[in-house]
Amino acid sequence: MSGTTYVYNLRDLKFILKEWLDMGKLLSLPPYAEYYDADDIDFIVDNTFKVCRDKVAVVNDDADKIGVKFEDGKVVSPESFRDAFKAVNEAGLGAGNADREVEAHLPYTIVQSNYEMLCAASLAFTGYWGLTTGAISVIQNYASEELKEKFLPNMCAGEWGGTMNLTESGAGSDVGANVTKAFPTDEPGIYKIKGNKIFITGGDHDLCSNFIHLVLARIEGALPGTAGLSLFIVPKIWVDDDGGLGEPNDVVTTGIEEKMGLHGQPTCSLSYGENDGCRGYLIGAPPDENGKASGIRQMFLMMNEERLMIGIQGLAVTGAAYLHSLAYAKERVQGRKFTDPKGERVRIIEHEDIRRMLMMQKSCSEAIRALVLKSCYYYDLSHDSEDPEEKAFAEGMFQISNPLCKAYSTDMAWLLISDAIQVFGGYGFTAEYPVEQLARDCKVLSIWEGTNYIQAQDLVGRKFTMQKGKVLTDWMEDIGGFIKSHKDKEGYGREFEVLSGAFGDMNYILEEVSAYGEGDRKEMTPLFATRILHAAAMLYCGRLIIDQALLAGEKLIELGEDHFDAAYYKGKIASARFYILNIVPQVGAIRRVIGLGDASAIDIAEESFA
Amino acid sequence: MNIVVSMKQTFDTEATITLSNGKINSAGVELVVNPYDEFALEEALKLKEAAGEGEVVLVSVGGEGVAKALRTGLATGADRAVLIDDPALADADEWAVAVALAKAIEQIEYDVILAGRMAIDDGSSQVAVRLADALGLPSVTSVLKLDVDGKKATATKEIDGGTEDIEVALPAVFTAQKGLNEPRLPSMAGIMKSKKKEIKSVTLAELGFSADDLLPKTNIQEFSLPSPRAGGHIVDGEPADAAKELARLLREEAKVI
Repeated sequence: MSGTTYVYNLRDLKFILKEWLDMGKLLSLPPYAEYYDADDIDFIVDNTFKVCRDKVAVVNDDADKIGVKFEDGKVVSPESFRDAFKAVNEAGLGAGNADREVEAHLPYTIVQSNYEMLCAASLAFTGYWGLTTGAISVIQNYASEELKEKFLPNMCAGEWGGTMNLTESGAGSDVGANVTKAFPTDEPGIYKIKGNKIFITGGDHDLCSNFIHLVLARIEGALPGTAGLSLFIVPKIWVDDDGGLGEPNDVVTTGIEEKMGLHGQPTCSLSYGENDGCRGYLIGAPPDENGKASGIRQMFLMMNEERLMIGIQGLAVTGAAYLHSLAYAKERVQGRKFTDPKGERVRIIEHEDIRRMLMMQKSCSEAIRALVLKSCYYYDLSHDSEDPEEKAFAEGMFQISNPLCKAYSTDMAWLLISDAIQVFGGYGFTAEYPVEQLARDCKVLSIWEGTNYIQAQDLVGRKFTMQKGKVLTDWMEDIGGFIKSHKDKEGYGREFEVLSGAFGDMNYILEEVSAYGEGDRKEMTPLFATRILHAAAMLYCGRLIIDQALLAGEKLIELGEDHFDAAYYKGKIASARFYILNIVPQVGAIRRVIGLGDASAIDIAEESFA
Repeated sequence: MNIVVSMKQTFDTEATITLSNGKINSAGVELVVNPYDEFALEEALKLKEAAGEGEVVLVSVGGEGVAKALRTGLATGADRAVLIDDPALADADEWAVAVALAKAIEQIEYDVILAGRMAIDDGSSQVAVRLADALGLPSVTSVLKLDVDGKKATATKEIDGGTEDIEVALPAVFTAQKGLNEPRLPSMAGIMKSKKKEIKSVTLAELGFSADDLLPKTNIQEFSLPSPRAGGHIVDGEPADAAKELARLLREEAKVI
């Protein structure tokens, strides 16, 4: 068995895109109306599925077993990656999707649906263009027309890679500690760059002929911390005025990391200007008279999109692990039924605890898929809606959902893949089956693009207070209003009772957060931030998945129990029921913990940690 | 270079086949372009690209669902499609399909006709050769390599235990075997462009047939699923003895030698 067996839940994706989200409305908006309608969705996702199955999943074993190598100063990828990379670009599934100005571009919701399928096929491989998409967005939004023209066509075509360079050995989560410097030259807008960056995903490899690095650096005289950072376009090879490749730009790859997972994805250390020959283009204006620069704001456009993509990565590997463990549970014969100890030996899917683990994976992955694709949908509306009120509402909903997508999806990925391994038993711990690779590959997702604690800080510190609390109020009203208007729905009494309780618990948590913020133990907020994020995510996921279940119930009535698709709709209702009755009550437990207000993790003396 | 590709929509290769009221149950089954027809289409696109001019036209028989398969072909690069859509062909046999296709193809300009070597659902390998017969054209089946030069083509075809090179005058019908090429996949841009490409739907009447002209000549009496595979039998003992016992079992029980 290997990672080349492609598994993906196309049915759930189609339910979301064709039945749950109003894609007809989105596709009728000006950027899309002339080119797409809802009937195209099947065609697009079916085709992506095929590309993933036939061209991408087949390299996943090489990604893990051969991995990427650093030989004679060059980053060498597995041979099979060439065809797969070409296929992804030819199919229009690569970095070019980040171009939101090109005619007939797809909405983000569909782009990211495709991306989930690609990540499920080979997470490591998607790193060869994942960061290019973010770099394209930044250049498209903030760079001059001249720079856009110089760099974007080849980046969109997949010929050149793009990267984001924040991290340095002394500046990880603390981005403001960056020491990379930029010095003005005689040429306007061009600076000399000097410094070292680490953990640069896709920073160098042999599938692209040039790399366009987006580098955070401090121009002399700028403020310390993040406020003084500017953003530069630094090509690995200088691009001449005619668009051709010129001289090397003194950007040297000094090594790649040996990692727990994602062996096929190069994580590079890059040295800029070791010989004083590295030049970069400043994006936007230089720091103002107070030394305030705009690099971090520009980088955060990239970062926000990347964070949503990381949520999708977490979902993709979780979904893959679930489907692998489900297939195994249907085949593996072990033991007898608890209720029939002298009966025939049965497949393990007939055991109660295996079913618990499968339902845990199924319900959570469906709830998270609802969360991330609803967030993508809001992201699209925030760009494309013609109604200013809807646009503003969607922007707020996206902003508050984004840290939930990133952190909840990836925290759960680790736990849920652990369940998948458990379903496999001892075989799950061996390299013969694909789930151990998924566990290794997924762990970094909770760390990169802002650790999950940073997401929790972002939620509690920035998103809850955004627009003087209006964004949070809108979000809570969306949940509260939904519960109020559906709570009497026949057959879902217990579910809405639990959801309503969780909503009350969340209100309590928000009051406590506010009280901590105003009181004399402000450090309690960061102590509870991760748990607050999880409470918010579980409540919101509960709201979304029961909305799906209500729709599934209507479909079931419409189609009848004998319809071939009845099992899917029944499964959706079961997922919602399980999620709300088994997961959402944890919101109450978090409320209780926050109410207890234990500060021993802060108060304990460091030496007592021994 | 104008090429016609005969295309069929079939069940997905991974679909589970079930029977309902003595017929194959298609409810909820994923439908795809017959994989061998994908080789045919790829070859057609390559021939057109090599010639630098011409068009690739898809033809098929079926209902609205088949239009999806044709659109996949258009998204892959074909220029237009003709769909013979007539309820009278719902139970058509291979002869009727071939005759209907021939009539539709007569109205198209072509140098080469390509089809898959068989459809993966019924696997009869009849339509393409019957089509050639109906059009009075030569045909070469199970083609692994195809070179077209002006008014003639050289095809390498698969035969038992080897290959055979055949030179044939054009126009001709060729059926594609796996190995002929590596089919390309549609791109997002191709999918979008395909919406503007024509799928012309025609009825039997529009092709000049009357209602009874294409009644099937074959009668399907029954569909049945293969028997479940019986458990294996391991012959124990020393190799020489086991071999004798195996030979006996094959002769007396399995009756295959």
